[in-house]
Amino acid sequence: MSTLKQQSLSSLLTATFVIGAVAGMSAPVFADVGPAALAPLDSIAMPIPSDNKQTDAKIALGKSLFFDPRLGGDASISCSSCHDPEQGWAWSEDFSRGYPGTVHWRNSQTIINSQYMSRQFWAGSAASGEKQAPSAAKGGVAGNGENDIMEARLALIPEYVAAFNEVFGDEWPLIGNAWRAIASYERTLVQTDTPLDNYLKGDASALSEEQLRGKAVFEGKGGCIACHNGALATNEEYVNIGVPPNKRWEEDGLAQITFRFEQYAKGQTEKGYRSAKSDWGLYYRTKNAWDKGKFRVPSLRYTLYTAPYMHNGNYYTMEEVVDFYDAGGMDEEGRTTLFPENKDARIQPLGLSDDEKSDLVAFLEAFSGEEMIIDKPALPEYQALFTEAELKEVKK
Amino acid sequence: MVKILAKRVSRQKQLLAASLALAVSCTLVGMSQVASAADGLPELEINEAKAELGKRLFFDKRISGDAAISCATCHVPENGYAHPDALSPGYPGNGHFRNSIGLINTAQKSIWLHDGRLGTNLNDVTREMITEDYIMNMDMRIMQERIKQDPKYLEMFEAAGYGEPSNGSVRKAIPEYLKTLASKGVPYDSGSMSDSAKAGQAVFAEKGCSSCHSGAMFTDGKAHNTGVPENHDIWLDPMNHQAFIAFTMFQGIENYMALKRDPGAHTQWKKADLSNMGTFQTPSLRELTQTAPYMHNGMIATLEDVVDFYNAGGGEDSNKDAAMRPLEMTDQEKSDLVAFLESLSGEALTGPEYVWSEAYPDEYPVIEDWLNQSN
Repeated sequence: MSTLKQQSLSSLLTATFVIGAVAGMSAPVFADVGPAALAPLDSIAMPIPSDNKQTDAKIALGKSLFFDPRLGGDASISCSSCHDPEQGWAWSEDFSRGYPGTVHWRNSQTIINSQYMSRQFWAGSAASGEKQAPSAAKGGVAGNGENDIMEARLALIPEYVAAFNEVFGDEWPLIGNAWRAIASYERTLVQTDTPLDNYLKGDASALSEEQLRGKAVFEGKGGCIACHNGALATNEEYVNIGVPPNKRWEEDGLAQITFRFEQYAKGQTEKGYRSAKSDWGLYYRTKNAWDKGKFRVPSLRYTLYTAPYMHNGNYYTMEEVVDFYDAGGMDEEGRTTLFPENKDARIQPLGLSDDEKSDLVAFLEAFSGEEMIIDKPALPEYQALFTEAELKEVKK
Repeated sequence: MVKILAKRVSRQKQLLAASLALAVSCTLVGMSQVASAADGLPELEINEAKAELGKRLFFDKRISGDAAISCATCHVPENGYAHPDALSPGYPGNGHFRNSIGLINTAQKSIWLHDGRLGTNLNDVTREMITEDYIMNMDMRIMQERIKQDPKYLEMFEAAGYGEPSNGSVRKAIPEYLKTLASKGVPYDSGSMSDSAKAGQAVFAEKGCSSCHSGAMFTDGKAHNTGVPENHDIWLDPMNHQAFIAFTMFQGIENYMALKRDPGAHTQWKKADLSNMGTFQTPSLRELTQTAPYMHNGMIATLEDVVDFYNAGGGEDSNKDAAMRPLEMTDQEKSDLVAFLESLSGEALTGPEYVWSEAYPDEYPVIEDWLNQSN
């Protein structure tokens, strides 16, 4: 009961905050009012860009494109290769698998609920799904595709030609519209019926006793709610919580190649390129020293299926994640961020008991419902654009 | 007699030779032509360490995007560094729309590719081949970091005087290696042509072949339309057609989706009257015996067929060069002409001095003590 009260109070405060912001008043500082309470996901609306409305035909096209490896360099990997429905719409290794001949350097994030977020990628480098898709399809250690060859491939697939014409009015498929369709499809990949959602909507039996105790830790002693709050279980802030560098960079030549490439590709200074030994996160966007090692707070939704965790996939279980926070943002060997000066002051040793830890882990599972497995669509085939007779008729 | 003398002399001697050449002519920069065979090609001075590095790079699949193909995938040593298919294989995931050009003597050219779109140097050609999405699709920043992960390359770049590996040095080293791909044992150059070939040489001059196939490289370096029929496999196979679409789209060719012919050098100049549609660079006639099939699209399989094609006055095209007309050659003239063309070809360059024969590492070795190393 107290939970419900707290939720409605918090909703009220959030509403006040929004009205205040719209009216141009100075926004209240969150610390004064406490973080937003957890809320059912269907209490917020999926943001739909005004220039990319959802239609059934667009979503169907986007689904096919999401699974189509021809939107990549060598036509061997698609969006779904690194965001595999059977791996939580993510990739179940620390670093995403990457383009053939490479490995990525960050953990692949789940597509489920991703389009609620105001920005995409671990450091928020894409402002929308429409911007994220091409960045991934074209990135050297991701899809490594180029616009011209990908657009050329679409033109030779009659079903796509017809669908792009119907959905976008394209005479020939435009690659930019492929990303719009994919983003539209991704907006349908949501999960609003988790045990937590059901509980927050009034089904008191949706959470076990253990999970209810875990919820109390989450909102109390654990302090998790400070960042993992609201309907998305993230405030979308960029925070350095102390995650140490992935050791794979010390042990894997292929990972070392990508590490240096990323420094280069993300516009590091010469000095930064030479000296970097960890992912500088938000710094690559802002070039502010205080943003080194900051990453966007991830949603906790669907995490039952998306291990490993953290921007670099350092932890393979939720138990490890909880231990990391319990130790004050430090792994069992005492390793932490290479930018301790930027580590968030809220990350402190928690002194959780074993029971509290297991309760917390049990509660974290309530952020996930059934696993969302789908049948992959059959992909349309290439077809020659001209017949031999048409080619023979050409007068030169 | 053409030999790569410089490969056999020490670096010190090379420097001396370069200084001497410089003393003779102040116009030389970097590369000096140390000798000129009477009827052969000018000999190029080669930096052995740089060429050796370029050789390793040329055969290394890791310099393509997905590490599946090397330069040698389309430029096969046993085929005169061309490819035996009519159309080059291209990058995995797509095909190609042109015949792979043999690379022997490529360093003697001043304009490259069938449409002549690169007329600067082999450094630019190397860049285009490595980075084009339908060719090797390599992000050169990743290439550079791959190379830096291989200790053998670190040694070789150092030995070549390049210092730390960079994509700029790759684009210098590969052209240096390409200089070593020079014709060897060519009867025409050594004066050991057969009587038939000598008779064919007279036919070659008399029938006007030499008006375009001129000079030591047997090319005028210009683009002409000879009416070569289109290779319909470009359009009938969507794998090839997608590369063609990507290319013509990128080159800014109008109405490229409707295009059913290869625009050739039109990609460069885009003449409004389309009079340069279907014009292609006059190819060198050297090493033809190694580089079948022929023409920009591999449409002609044998030299006999090529000679028949010209004897008939070429193919049909409204832009066809006025010089193309029936030649009325006798069978004897035709076979002599073929013999002459064959006399312009030498030995296969397939020995270890040309082909990198050591295995590449299966995995990239880890840089030890990484935390304490400068990247």
